[in-house]
Amino acid sequence: MSKYTEEDLKKELENQEYEYGFYSDLNAETFPKGLNEEVIIAISKKKNEPQWMTEWRLDAYRIWKNMEEPDWANVNYPKPDFQAISYYSAPKPKKQLDSLDEVDDELLKMYEKLGISINEQKRLAGVAMDIVVDSVSVATTFKKTLAEKGILFMPISEAIQKHPDLVKKYLGTIVPKTDNFYAALNSAVFTDGSFCYIPKGVKCPMELSTYFRINEGGTGQFERTLLIADKGSYVSYLEGCTAPQRDENQLHAAVVELIALDDAEIKYSTVQNWYPGDKNGKGGVFNFVTKRGLCETNAKISWTQVETGSAVTWKYPSCILKGDNSVGEFYSIAVTNNYQQADTGTKMIHLGKNTKSTIISKGVSAGKSQNSYRGLVQVHNKAENARNFSQCDSLLMGDKCGAHTFPYIECKNNTAQIEHEATTSKIGEDQIFYCNQRGIDTDKAIALIVNGFSKEVLNKLPMEFAVEARKLLEISLEGSVG
Amino acid sequence: MNLKDKLTTGFFELENKGELHIDDSIHPIRTKAFEAFENKGFPTKKEEEWKYTPLKAIINKDYEITNSYEAAVELNDVKKYFIQDVDTYKIVFINGVYSSFLSETTHSGIDVCLLSSAIKKPKYKLILDHYFNKIAKNNESLTHLNTAFTQQGAFIHIPKNTVVSKPIQIIYFSLNGNQFLQPRNLVVVDENSHVQILERHQTIDDSSNFTNSVTEIFAAKRAIVDYNKIQNDTEKASLIDQTFVQQKDNSIVSVNTFSFGGKFTRNNLEFYQEGERLESNLNGFSLLGNKQYVDNHTVVYHNQPNCESHELYKGIYADKATGVFNGKVIVHQKAQLTNAFQQNNSILIGDKSTIYAKPQLEIFADDVKCSHGCTIGQLDETALFYMQQRGIPKKEAHALLLYAFGNDVIEKIKFPKLKERITKLMAKKLGVELGF
Amino acid sequence: MSKPILEVKDLHAGIENNEILKGINLTIKPGEVHAIMGPNGSGKSTLSSVIAGNETYDVIKGDILFEGESILDLSPEERAHKGIFMSFQYPVEIPGVTTTNFIKAAINAKRKSQGLEDLPAKDMLKMIKEKSELLEMDRKFLSRSLNQGFSGGEKKRNEIFQMAMLEPKLAILDETDSGLDIDALKIVANGVNKLKNKDNAVLVITHYQRLLDYIVPDFVHVLHNGKIIKSGGKELAHELEEKGYDWLK
Repeated sequence: MSKYTEEDLKKELENQEYEYGFYSDLNAETFPKGLNEEVIIAISKKKNEPQWMTEWRLDAYRIWKNMEEPDWANVNYPKPDFQAISYYSAPKPKKQLDSLDEVDDELLKMYEKLGISINEQKRLAGVAMDIVVDSVSVATTFKKTLAEKGILFMPISEAIQKHPDLVKKYLGTIVPKTDNFYAALNSAVFTDGSFCYIPKGVKCPMELSTYFRINEGGTGQFERTLLIADKGSYVSYLEGCTAPQRDENQLHAAVVELIALDDAEIKYSTVQNWYPGDKNGKGGVFNFVTKRGLCETNAKISWTQVETGSAVTWKYPSCILKGDNSVGEFYSIAVTNNYQQADTGTKMIHLGKNTKSTIISKGVSAGKSQNSYRGLVQVHNKAENARNFSQCDSLLMGDKCGAHTFPYIECKNNTAQIEHEATTSKIGEDQIFYCNQRGIDTDKAIALIVNGFSKEVLNKLPMEFAVEARKLLEISLEGSVG
Repeated sequence: MNLKDKLTTGFFELENKGELHIDDSIHPIRTKAFEAFENKGFPTKKEEEWKYTPLKAIINKDYEITNSYEAAVELNDVKKYFIQDVDTYKIVFINGVYSSFLSETTHSGIDVCLLSSAIKKPKYKLILDHYFNKIAKNNESLTHLNTAFTQQGAFIHIPKNTVVSKPIQIIYFSLNGNQFLQPRNLVVVDENSHVQILERHQTIDDSSNFTNSVTEIFAAKRAIVDYNKIQNDTEKASLIDQTFVQQKDNSIVSVNTFSFGGKFTRNNLEFYQEGERLESNLNGFSLLGNKQYVDNHTVVYHNQPNCESHELYKGIYADKATGVFNGKVIVHQKAQLTNAFQQNNSILIGDKSTIYAKPQLEIFADDVKCSHGCTIGQLDETALFYMQQRGIPKKEAHALLLYAFGNDVIEKIKFPKLKERITKLMAKKLGVELGF
Repeated sequence: MSKPILEVKDLHAGIENNEILKGINLTIKPGEVHAIMGPNGSGKSTLSSVIAGNETYDVIKGDILFEGESILDLSPEERAHKGIFMSFQYPVEIPGVTTTNFIKAAINAKRKSQGLEDLPAKDMLKMIKEKSELLEMDRKFLSRSLNQGFSGGEKKRNEIFQMAMLEPKLAILDETDSGLDIDALKIVANGVNKLKNKDNAVLVITHYQRLLDYIVPDFVHVLHNGKIIKSGGKELAHELEEKGYDWLK
């Protein structure tokens, strides 16, 4: 293949211009509001994408156009106006501040509670750091180690350029464009995200994390993640950050696709702490995420999530257990407070023989929030000896909130064994008084009780995440019992 | 002509004949109900509550909808379907028509009679105005359909402080035909009274009737109602059974549903708790084979504080049988100190058998104890082997284990003769002769 | 004479409009063991709850001084930080939280109130080891969820263990003997005796004299209908055991 030059691009653009009768100022940093084929093409151009990718996006857009926003989830929110959103905005350089003194007090207080180091605080808040060099060198060492192992880890836009074969082969295979309204929208307009490939037999020596990518531009509104673990490989991937994310974007529709080939294992951990809105339910992020993984023979995918943020969450990290002996796991804590609404859970699709799945879901509702678990366990007729165990526990604080459980169990094989349990309880006043008597104040007591309640899930998180996640639970529920 | 059109034509035909105009106050309810049905039509799989249950195959068949006729039945032919050896009141219908010959009604102290005759009598006007169609679901078109057409059914009224000494049997026989039947029962149990009722659906030949039944049960303060259902139609008949229960303070209502027969059975059972310190019990047992289909849909509305609900549904599915369990517990914000328990266990023994389960909790109050559990599994192979090793033939061992599985539901029956009967039905269905 | 640890002055308290305590006076000095005895419903548990600051009860009149200062406006945790420990009649279960983590949270909360840093893990472990040895307790239970699935005896021993860790100035033992067999009772009493010294004080609340054979009180008070109707030495307990409560009414 000859080298693709700027000249070629121009030519291509001219042709497309003709083809679609459209011209967009490539220098514009933010597109005008609205969504149509022209905008899609412009995004694709902006990203310097090959033709197949543009077509792929357009196809997704056409599918999306004929879809309706789903309303089956147990959440209520004003439907976003999809024509009032700007679908491309170049990553704006964050305003550089000279010192932490210039940073919002409330934000700093939270950082402190989370135990984030001063340097990290500066980085998160966009303060110029005197130790930037250090940070860069960490990233460099990190990249070097990965390269030695042959691990590819880069923004997805870069992967589309550098590894089109892999992207082409797997993108949209686990979450098809037709999957759902938000997935279709994401497929059409995604601008950022991660790509990761672990070669055969490689055990990734470190926790891969979007954390390291932050300097390469913030995560987008329509994030797209594609993670492929080749045969016999292992990777643990961390997404998100416990630090509060004050994002201007109200709508987030991410898609994550995981592929675990034979004997591979993927551990995917998420901490989601997008802005939940204020005490009166004003503002906050709408988080509509489609996450799904495919397990080939003997493969294992384990989802762990701590969800404390967002005004509205709609998220069901799922596993397709296609290969024999494959294993799917879902460990989740969802905390809602004030006016937050969460409808989250998982789908475990048992297709292969001797497949096994475990679901542990812990919901904590406080304030006037609504917290729903929605899950599907499906055993197909060929899935001999499938096993599932599900446990969904809800903890209620206060009489203005709600906890709901909607499990769907579909079993078409008579060798399957499925067990589902759900309980609902409240934090007892006697428990709080007992803690008080031992000198522990009420907020701390609640944190202690909630941590105990969520223990099985917290234990699944990688160490460095677990400590912060514990604190995060505490902060999310502060002052929720008067 | 599809069934809906046929029903529309049929409705106007009956209207013109004046057959639906039994009473001035009921009539407008009918007309309204029919409009509601006409607008909505039969439920489809697109509706969440009908997600797993296709009605299409059933409603695409041709049914007689207007010409119900009483078929001749010999007492000897149907005797075996009654609970014998104990004295009971009986209200018997054959193809939807009241059979005075087989029935044994009463108006002394309590009322056990025909709903249509109660509607006609001014004496019952107050009761009917107060209770008829008051809790039947208003967003289910099948309920509307029943309300629009219904003429026959049982009327049971137990006045205050009465312990009814004899159980009441309501039996719907059907034979030689393909009729669309819509019975309607109204049960009103006043303060501090106690009654045991058995409702049975039984086809006695190969007929492929389609029954869409509605029952409303009202339990006043401290009333105790035991309501048992045996569904044992042949494998050509279809049954949609909708039962609505309203309870007041300190009442105890148990509805036990035993599904053995039918090609298709859908049970909608809804409890409205409108008092404090009351108890609702929902139990069900299904034992199905071949291509049988049963769908148990239950809802308990915990609308008041300090109440309990206990739900236990078990099912055994052989061959290509399919079971659906959809249990919903809704705890209103006001309903503090609710205790709600739900359990659903299924055994799949058929290679092509299927189960869909959806146990749901919707909780808006915090000081509650709610739980649900759901399991799907098989018989314990070790236990089977153990029994075989002790000389029990495999088939019997199998039956014994299945019986043991269903036993805790059967134990909920408070009426010994009925327990015996259910046990026999079970043994028959399992193809064994066991004393149990 | 040393300054009293606890002074209860004409204390009236109850739930809503129902007065349960109708004028209690009680002074406890360092090094003393007091026992409050009384029939069911006399207000024994109310008294311990009110001293510990349980907000279910309202103080209608009177005052409670701890080391000379009124504690009525303090929250339960602030009282705990000052050195009041109450052993619960029914210790609460907290699923998923181990006893170790719980006690760590309690100790560090107290230290924080005193302006101290968290106790280093090393010191914490050392302390746990010492105290559990002192009380001759199996340390296995420390890694189990707090009180969950514990037998009655285990729960009470855990209370005494926490008391040992928190080193209170005033320990209130609310019906600690209920539900204990004689062996468990001895172990618990033994623990309390080992922790007792000239600077702290113990208030034993009990229905029966049984526990007082092992934790010997300096003073016994009889509570009846919300009032202390008789006070005396340890012999009063024996007298009560023989004659029952009726002879006092």
